[in-house]
Amino acid sequence: MTDSTLTSTRPPFGMVFGSLFRADFTVLLRSVRMIALNLALPIIVLIIFSLHSGQGNGSAAAGLTAGGFDIGLALTYGLMSSSLIGYSITVARDRDAGVFQRLRVTPAPTWAIMASRVLVQLVVNLIMTVIVIVLGAILFKTTFSFGQYLLVAGVALLGGIMFLAIGQAVVGLVRSATAVNAVGRVLYVILLLLGLLGSSGLLGDTVKSIADWTPVGAMINLFESALSLAAWGSDQTTAIIAIAIYIVVGAFIGIRWFRWDSR
Amino acid sequence: MFMTEPNAEAQGPILDVTDLVVAYGNRTAVDGISFQIKRGEIFGLLGPNGAGKTSTLSAIEGLVKPGGGTAIIDGYDAQRQATDVRARLGVQLQASSFQSELTIEQIVQLYAGLYGVRLSRQAIVDRIREIGLGDELGKRFKSLSGGQQQRLSLLIAVVHRPILLLLDEPTSGLDPQSRRQLWDRIEKLRHDGGSILLTTHSMEEAQSVCDRVAIIDHGKVLAIDTPELLIKKYKTDPRVKAVARGAVTLEDVFIGLTGSEIRD
Repeated sequence: MTDSTLTSTRPPFGMVFGSLFRADFTVLLRSVRMIALNLALPIIVLIIFSLHSGQGNGSAAAGLTAGGFDIGLALTYGLMSSSLIGYSITVARDRDAGVFQRLRVTPAPTWAIMASRVLVQLVVNLIMTVIVIVLGAILFKTTFSFGQYLLVAGVALLGGIMFLAIGQAVVGLVRSATAVNAVGRVLYVILLLLGLLGSSGLLGDTVKSIADWTPVGAMINLFESALSLAAWGSDQTTAIIAIAIYIVVGAFIGIRWFRWDSR
Repeated sequence: MFMTEPNAEAQGPILDVTDLVVAYGNRTAVDGISFQIKRGEIFGLLGPNGAGKTSTLSAIEGLVKPGGGTAIIDGYDAQRQATDVRARLGVQLQASSFQSELTIEQIVQLYAGLYGVRLSRQAIVDRIREIGLGDELGKRFKSLSGGQQQRLSLLIAVVHRPILLLLDEPTSGLDPQSRRQLWDRIEKLRHDGGSILLTTHSMEEAQSVCDRVAIIDHGKVLAIDTPELLIKKYKTDPRVKAVARGAVTLEDVFIGLTGSEIRD
């Protein structure tokens, strides 16, 4: 053993992370399911909403930019589908197949293996966000300022991290890919219904107050605010606090109980 | 050719395993195993199912945390200097799997990058052609045959020219041609200065390929030496004589020491 051996054999981190990122990005682009969850689903939702936009739906809130609610909802759908379901299923599938075990015997730091996947997902979330806003602006015949685009991108980033943290918690607590798939879908429906129905006020003020603290309720709240450039108020503060809590708790559970192999 | 050229002045073994203990809950899979591998040596770890072979390799690879003991690779501790150790190891797991969306060319590119090896596209293609998969460049790992998968796994395991190659049942499920080809490649790796630690259930292969072998069972080393000396030492052992059919072989010694009962 010599020092020169030591310095010459550790691969440069940039090269390691770059290789992981390129591979993970390729995997995501090649996956039909991921493309559908990331892009197709929010676009379909957006088109359906736009077809009903003249019939008085949730976007009729006073002072809201035309289509703001619908675009926010479509973005929330997309972020939740790709980050909560898509991400967790892919991680669980690769864990079942032994992909992580193979990666772990390389000099790549284990945190980098996961960070690369998260980063790829966030980048794709941002691309999806821009596409959905632009398409939304066309469908709802409205114009968003550069500032609104930036705000929405920021909210999407935050929402993406939150849903990824929840997805990570799911793969941390549930071992097999099949079970992760099932739990993810059930969670998806529960969160969506609770956030949507609760936020609409149809179930009363108490439920609405609770719904504002749910992931979907908080996201819709922030997207609406960003797209209507609403003044900062208690609703937005509630949403930010709720999202921060979900990120911290989800990440803690997802890291603390995550296992690299499913045996 | 290898990452670290075999150093005539290098002192000590390439791998030094001392009192290694691996436990899963209440079950002890490896119970104080000790052995060493010399530089340039092919060393076989032999044992029935559940003997502790894969757990031993996993501890050396850093995949499991030992309950006790050490594994020192080229002077680096597998637990405390895991990154340095992994940079020196080439690993072929018992069942390798890669991201199903990647082509084999992209898989080689990924793993070269993870070991800090810069390979041009042409260099990657050349290496894949060398193992006879030139026509499969755009295929996914899962669509390859068992033999092709093993060849690719071995290529990836040695993409960075490791000084120690760990092979967990490398010939499992291979036809005789693929098996022969694999041993030729392993022999070439040794010839180029690498050391190899492998597990196998094939006693004939171990006898013909390994410089030394360790027979382990229930997490303990039962015997360790060259195949020839093991046969010589144990050929008069009543347990071995009881199972031998004709001239005593390594397989007779193995069954004599580990018992005839079938393991799951």
